[in-house]
Amino acid sequence: MRRQGESSNLAKALRLSSEFVAGIVLGGLIGWGIDHFAGSSPWGLIVFLLLGFAAGTLNAMRSAGLVAERGTGKKD
Amino acid sequence: MDPIHQFNITKFYILGHIGGHEIAITNSALFMFAAVAIIIGGMLIATARRSLVPGRAQSVVETSYEFVADMVRQSAGESGMKFFPLVFTLFSFILVLNMFGMIPGLFAVTSHIVVTVFLSLVVFLTVVIYGFWHNGFKFLKLFVPSGVPVYILPLIVAIEVMSFFSRPISHSVRLFANILAGHITLKVFAGFVALLGGLGIAGWVGALLPLALTVALTALELLVAFLQAYVFAILTCIYLNDAIHPGH
Repeated sequence: MRRQGESSNLAKALRLSSEFVAGIVLGGLIGWGIDHFAGSSPWGLIVFLLLGFAAGTLNAMRSAGLVAERGTGKKD
Repeated sequence: MDPIHQFNITKFYILGHIGGHEIAITNSALFMFAAVAIIIGGMLIATARRSLVPGRAQSVVETSYEFVADMVRQSAGESGMKFFPLVFTLFSFILVLNMFGMIPGLFAVTSHIVVTVFLSLVVFLTVVIYGFWHNGFKFLKLFVPSGVPVYILPLIVAIEVMSFFSRPISHSVRLFANILAGHITLKVFAGFVALLGGLGIAGWVGALLPLALTVALTALELLVAFLQAYVFAILTCIYLNDAIHPGH
């Protein structure tokens, strides 16, 4: 049985891109929300978009198996 | 001919109103009920005989049990088996709904993001609630990787938290986007066949290419329908693993 749905390259590409985009979207939403309610525009958006970018990169690298799983020291 | 038309929600029977919102049995709800009925009915019928040497239907059920059980054991460990009912329910529910979508004329429930977001929130809340209940505040160690210098720790923790909260997004969008894009592509290519066919004899010859592509895409979409149910289930196991063993 093939593992992790990595059987096709298309599935892998979709998986990695959705992981990456999810981080950025979440960062953008949080930043925009903070600006909207705290009136700190544009700093919330800038900070959280960058954080979201980092989180998205971490997500993508983790699901590609390049970074150790969270909480553990071991590489997987 | 409109490729989006197939995703329309139609109301069949209006049950009543809650807080100004209409509560109705829609085609989406109807297909979900049908999926649950097929899964439960199929399981009950297939396992009714309980023969030692399984028949065809019984071995399908047994194989799917083994398939999901292996997935849970490998990704979440032996103690993850307490979540087997959740994972098996999600897997079979999504698989049957995706397969419904592949039958021409039927409605693809998983092409609506509200459905997939709810499914992924069920998983996310299970992870958070069970994680805190099982581990207490040690669950927060999930966000603190070991061996990181103190001066960049706040940044790393912030990134880890963001990464954790982006999971339900990627979890739900992946399923929704795959099914939505697949169905639109199929509809567009199938639409080309009819459009070209309207041009006469030369059109029918030209229509062979999109027709062949539609057949090939249907096969691909069948694979995607299975694969996305599988990916959803295996990610559920991986996320549950964090709740069961945070920080090891």
